[in-house]
Parts: sequence; structure tokens; C-alpha cells
Amino acid sequence: MTGAFVAALEKVGGVAVNCDTPKHLVGYLAENAPGAVVLPPCPSLQRLDLARHLRAAGVDVIDDDFRRHAPMATAGLTGVNFAIAATGTIVLESTAEPIRLASTLPPIHFALLDPRKIVADSAVAGPLLRRMHARLAQTFLAYITGPSRTADIERVLTIGVHGPKELHVLLCEGVSDDFMES
Amino acid sequence: MSKQRTRAYKARIDKALATPRLQDTLHRFADAYLISRENAFAGHDFAALRAGIAAMKDEVRDNREEYLAQFTRNAEAAGAKVYLARTAAEANAYIVSLARQRGVKLVVKSKSMASEEIHLNHALEEAGVKALETDLGEWIIQLAGQRPSHMVMPAIHMVKEEVAELFSKVTGQVEPAEIPHLVQVAREQLRQGYLDAGMGISGANIAVAETGGIALITNEGNARLVTTLPKIHVALVGIEKLVPTLEDAQKVIDVLPKNATGQLITSYVSWIRGAVPCGDGSKELHIVLLDNGRSALAESPHCKDALRCIKCGACANVCPVYQTVGGHVFGHIYISAIGIILTAFFHGLENAAELVRACIGCRACVAVCPSGIDLESIILHLREVLGEEEGVGAGKALVFKHIMRNRALFHTMIRTASLLQKPVTRGERTIRHLPLFFAGLTEWRSLPAIADKPLRDQWAGIVQKVEKPRYQVAFFAGCLNDFVYPELGHDLVKVLNHLGVAVSFPQEQNCCGVPALYSGDRETATVLAEQNVAALLAGNPDFVVTTCPTCTMALQRDFVDLLRDHPRWAAQAERLSAITIDISRFIVEKCAGGQALAGRAATEKVTYHDSCHLKRGAGVWREPRQLLAASGRELVEMAHADRCCGFGGSYSFTSHPDIARHILGDKVADIEKSGASCVAMDCPGCLMQIRGGLDKQGKSVRAAHTIQLLAEMIGKG
Ligand code: SF4
Repeated sequence: MTGAFVAALEKVGGVAVNCDTPKHLVGYLAENAPGAVVLPPCPSLQRLDLARHLRAAGVDVIDDDFRRHAPMATAGLTGVNFAIAATGTIVLESTAEPIRLASTLPPIHFALLDPRKIVADSAVAGPLLRRMHARLAQTFLAYITGPSRTADIERVLTIGVHGPKELHVLLCEGVSDDFMES
Repeated sequence: MSKQRTRAYKARIDKALATPRLQDTLHRFADAYLISRENAFAGHDFAALRAGIAAMKDEVRDNREEYLAQFTRNAEAAGAKVYLARTAAEANAYIVSLARQRGVKLVVKSKSMASEEIHLNHALEEAGVKALETDLGEWIIQLAGQRPSHMVMPAIHMVKEEVAELFSKVTGQVEPAEIPHLVQVAREQLRQGYLDAGMGISGANIAVAETGGIALITNEGNARLVTTLPKIHVALVGIEKLVPTLEDAQKVIDVLPKNATGQLITSYVSWIRGAVPCGDGSKELHIVLLDNGRSALAESPHCKDALRCIKCGACANVCPVYQTVGGHVFGHIYISAIGIILTAFFHGLENAAELVRACIGCRACVAVCPSGIDLESIILHLREVLGEEEGVGAGKALVFKHIMRNRALFHTMIRTASLLQKPVTRGERTIRHLPLFFAGLTEWRSLPAIADKPLRDQWAGIVQKVEKPRYQVAFFAGCLNDFVYPELGHDLVKVLNHLGVAVSFPQEQNCCGVPALYSGDRETATVLAEQNVAALLAGNPDFVVTTCPTCTMALQRDFVDLLRDHPRWAAQAERLSAITIDISRFIVEKCAGGQALAGRAATEKVTYHDSCHLKRGAGVWREPRQLLAASGRELVEMAHADRCCGFGGSYSFTSHPDIARHILGDKVADIEKSGASCVAMDCPGCLMQIRGGLDKQGKSVRAAHTIQLLAEMIGKG
């Protein structure tokens, strides 16, 4: 399933990175985030105590006053609720506003995904979507498939118009097996 | 008024036709689209997906009150405010007064065709509120002061140089015409807007009744910003966007991106329900449900299927008229085939009056529509309605009513015309001008002469060589076969006799009525249908065979529809429909695949042109190819084999000859590129068009009806 997901993700211009250990993960982020990184409160990030580790690695972490800081950040880091292999889609329940700010404003979006949370296709995703709706009175759910794109000028595909120009999905087993959390 | 309207419309056509860059852009897009669409649907059952959408949308349409109530209940429970706007004016008034009350100075918008439909930007600007489009294409259009020329790609008619010029004005410096750079300029220029705006306005692709949420299917990421950053979010949603459940919503998501742009899924699908958190508090969400003619459409027995539309834009992508003139000509706000229908209901029949006639009737849109809408039939119906309101044109009306309905008179006149045309006949079989109701538009294609003796007058002299016929069939020739190409009748008899079939020619048969029907004169079409049903069933034939697919559609489909409410004729029309069959399919299915026609290996390289009404009307395209191959020809496929040739009956003569000529030009080029020395087809109308185009351009490729090529092989080898 992971292979199919990665293939589909790469097809739409996303990057998949295998991060076997949290250390590896922090190293990748430190290396690939050129400036401040927005870190919204996602359970899988908190579980790894990523804010602390990233700071220790010298990364400028934004984890409060998101509205003020996010527009200036160069990257956002979020968890992922689950992913859909057929289309290379990550599903991110982003009702909490900081998650949305982290995944819409900065030019780079890092998304931490436990590969155990990859499902085959939209048909399998349906019941999960339903469960999410049942849990929350208000919902903002995002299917994200690759970086932002446009073909509005002469139909030439161009990556990175209003949303992230890069999407890196960091595959790290063991961070979460709960489809209802990111 | 209507004269002035027509003049302005013709001027728009001329302008578009004088812009080869436009045609080039749209043609290249259409080619690329077909390939990516095919890839996207690989491994998926399009017919099944389509049936699913159609059934689901019909369910919502028929029970829309309940679904609207359910949606409203759930949305309000989640903290949204829902307003049902019956008209464009009501929707505008609601949004404008909300902006005023909240002191909003700047609105950021993501793409919404509904907002174009109601001219929302204009209403906002009038109230002193600035509306900033953030979708790249929409922003370009806004800067240019234009309207979208495509529902999915609003600025498809523009090139990067024009965009660079517009952007340079915004930034005050010269912006190079490089696409990645221009995209970056848009990102930077629009970014502050999201942060400053007091209100974000979006559309919605889907409204889910069971959750009270909406879904947005987008690529650029601007809709996510528009719905996140400003304190107030207004979603303007046509009521046809309602679906019952999340699973139904998924059906739309599974199809829309594939059919719109050939993507498996767009970069983003955002499911938004209720007053989600915003800054320190929560979002003020208003959902404006827009009717504006949709209920009237739902109530229209002939047109209601159009409400299934999911706005994928595919009907434009494949439309030869759209590809020739673009959406600023072939559209009002909504464009192309679906645009004609939506314009009639949302913006008034008056605004659709010209567009209704601009459809050439090729059914390319019907084949590609993911919602199973028979766009062509609905457009034909609107043409009838318009014919009743505005008349079908004095000269035409006279011919239809007083001449065509009287078969003897009609045929006498054509015979007389054949005598009158003598002095203008160029060579033996090609004339400069066609008399009668065909206008003299021949400068871009040669037209055949009316035969000295129509087939009906030659019939008695045709000797049939068939001993114990396996079938007795009646031949419905149609006007072109009868009066212009009588030799095809000889070919048909020769081939069918060879296959053991006897052919009769019921003398009482008349024009199939399509010219009248397609011009909006339903009454004449009905009279002609009665005459033909009586004539063709009189001899109790096993089958009625045709050489013209437009006639086939008339006999199979239109007669049944026209005579449905005539107790005397309804059952007979059904019977005729059931036994009518085009000649190629007849030979393949009823005469053992025409094995008896297999000839010696011919050296001729033949390419095949699919007539619109044969392929997409009767579903026949394999059969003629099979027969041509069996007859020993080498078959080579041309590009766009099933693209319309631009004939369209009176379309190419009187209503839109200039567009027809361009479409023919494309066809001739494709034929030539195939390298074939002969192009075969199963339609005398296409034959007239294509042969005329080839002749006029001095091409050596010959054009022939399949039946002619089959007849040639008999007795050979
Ligand atoms: S009518 Fe059909 S093809 Fe045209 S936009 Fe609507 S759904 Fe798409």
C-alpha cells in the first residue's frame, strides 16, 4: 500500500520521505526547512515532542500566535489523519485553525504520516469521513493531493500558485495508528 | 431588437474567426484533453459512474424540497446562516447588505460561476465594496474586464503575453511573459488580499444534505485561504449542487476532476461544515442557496435533466463550434452546450436565442457528459420553443409549411429546380448555386447538382436480381439520396440483392422532417412524420434501411417523440422505430457480416469519417469499418475521425456557414494527413460537405459512401 501511495504522490509532484526514526525526521526537517516552521498542535507531533527537538536542532519553531506568524513562515508541519493510496492523497482534519494556517500559507508543507494509516481508495475512505463528521459539530476536512497547481495560463501546468509549492510526506512508522487524529 | 441582436452576434463570430490563435489554442487544448481524460478514466467504468451521478442528481431534483430543508437544518445546527435566494437580485442584495453591515471594504473571492451568473462583483462594487478575484484565471479576466470563456479555465482564450501586459499594469513594472514568473507575481500580489479582506466569498461544488456541509474541489489553494483567513465566509451555492450523502458527494469527486481536466483528483478537496474556528472566535458562515431559474428548470419536462450538470466543462472541450469560436461567442455566462440551456433558464430565452442555433447538433457533448444529459435534444427543444416565440424565419416557414408538407408539390419543385439549375451547373455534377431554400453559399465548397431524375423516378427501371429473398426491406432514401445522389440507391440495390435481400421504394415517402424540426418547426415535422410512418409501413417490410444517419435518427427517435400523443400513430411510430436500421449495421447484423462481399485485395487505402448521428446517434462505428476491411480495403484511421465535418444541414447553408467552413477545413486537413486516397462515410450530408471541401481545395482524395465502395467490389475478383 505504501508503494502505491508513494507512486501516486510522486506522480502529482509530491515528495515522499522515509524517516525510520524521529531523529532522522528532525534531521530532514532541519535540513529542508530554510526558515521558520509552523507547528500546530497535532497529536502525532506532540507525541514525538517535535517542537523541542526541532528547536534543539536550531529550527525556528512557531507554535503560538499563529495568525501573526504563519504568513512569514517558510514551512508548516502537520500530522496526517490518513492517506489514500489510489490518488496519493493525504487527509487532514484541519478544523483547528492553526492546522489550516500551517498547511495553506507557507511555501512548504511537511506532513507526518504513519504508513499504517494508508487506505486503498476513496471507497474505503468514506466511512472514515463519516466518522470524522460524527465526532465534530464543525468540520474543516482537507484532501490534499500534491502541491498547489494551476494551468490557467495557456494550460501550462505550473506548481505552487496560492498554496504550498512543495509537499513532503514524511513516512514514519509508529507515530500514530489513530485515523481520527493527525 | 432581434435584428440588432443577430448583427452583434454575427460580428462576434467574425471577430473570433479572424483570430486563428484562438482556434489554435482551443484545438490543441481539445487534443490534449482527450488524451488526459482517457488516461484518467483508465480502469474505470465511465458508463457506470455516469449512471450513478444521473440517478443521484435526479433523486435530489425530484425531492429537492426535502433535501433543501435537510441541508438547511444541518448547516444551521453547525452554526451557519442559510439564506435561500430566489433570484440573482435577492442573492446580491443579501450579500451586499451583509458586507455593508459588517463594514467590509474588501472581499476576496475564489472561483464561483454562480457569482458570475448573478454579476455579484458588479453589485459589490456599486456598493463601494472591492471584490478581488483570487483564482488565477478569474483574476486575469477581472483585470482584463472580460468574462470567463470557459467554466473551468476562465482565461483559456488568452496568451501569456496578454497576461504579462495586464500584470505589468498592476505592478507598475515590466513583467516578462514567462508563465512560472507570472504565476509567482499572482501569488505575491494576491497574498495580502486574503489577510486584509473582511469577507471571503466562495462557491461550492457540492452541498451535502446529511451534514449541512459544502465541498470545494480546487487546485490552486486560494479557496482554502479565502475560506480560512477572513472573519466572514459567504458560500454562494446553486441549489443543484445538493447531494444526499457523503457517499454521493464522493461520486461527484470521483468523476469531476477526471472529466474536467483529466486529473484523478484535484490538489484540494475541502469539506467545510459550519462555523469553524477563526482567530480567537469562530467563523461567521453564510450559505446563500441560489435558485434563479433552477426550480423552473427542474419543472421543465423536456429540459430538467440539465440540472444534473456538475459543471465539468467537458461539453465545451469536445465541441467543434466551441473550438472554432470560443466561449465569448458560444456562451453567455455559462458556455457551450450546457451554457445554452442554463442561459435560457437563468438569464432568459432572449439571451439564448442566438446560441440555440449555434449548436451544430453533432452530439460530441452528449458522449462525454458525465451526468448523462442529452444536451442536443434539450437544445433542439429550446429551438422549437424559440421557433414558436420568434418564428422560424419567413422564407423557411413558407417552405416548411406550404411546400414540404405537400409531398407532391415539394418534389415537383425540386424536379423543376433541377431543370432551372442547368445554366449554373459546373461540369456534370457540381453546381455553383443550389436553388430553393439552400442559399448560394458555395465559395468554400462545391455543391452537387440536383439529379436530372430523382431516385424515385428511376426506381421502376432498376432491375432487382434476387431469387428467393431472405428479407424484404423498404428503403428510406431521404432527400439527399433521392434527389442529389440517386446513384447510391442503385448501389444499395446491387449490394443488397447480392446478399439475397429484395428492396422496395415506397413512393409516398417524404422528407424526414429534420430540417423543419431542427429549425424549430415541430408542427411540420409532425405532419411529415405521419406521412412517412404511413408510407414506410404500408408494404409491411421486414426492415426499413437507410443510408442517411440523420434520417435514421428521425425514424428511430424523433418520429416516436413527435407522434407520442397521437393515438392513431404512436404505436406505428414505435414499430417503424424498431425495424429501422442503417445500411452498414443491417449488412453486418442481418446478412452475416457481408461475408459475401469479401473481394480481392484492393490497393486502395481508405480512411473512415464517422458521421455524428451514426456514431453518437445510432451507436454504429465498428460496422462500416468491418465492411470496408472485409471488402479488401486497407483501412487507415485519420485523427479526430468522429469529429463533425461541419455539415449540419441548414447550419452550413444558412445559419452558420462561416463556422461550418472552419470545421470542414479541420476535417479536410485530417483526411489529407491520413495518407488515404479515399475517405468513406455513411452519410450523404457528410458526403456533400466533405466531397465539396476536397473538390474546392483541389485535393485528389475521393469521398464515397460506404455502400458505393461495397458495390464497386461486386463482380470483381
Ligand atoms: S453538461 Fe455535462 S459535460 Fe457539460 S459541464 Fe455539465 S456535466 Fe460537464
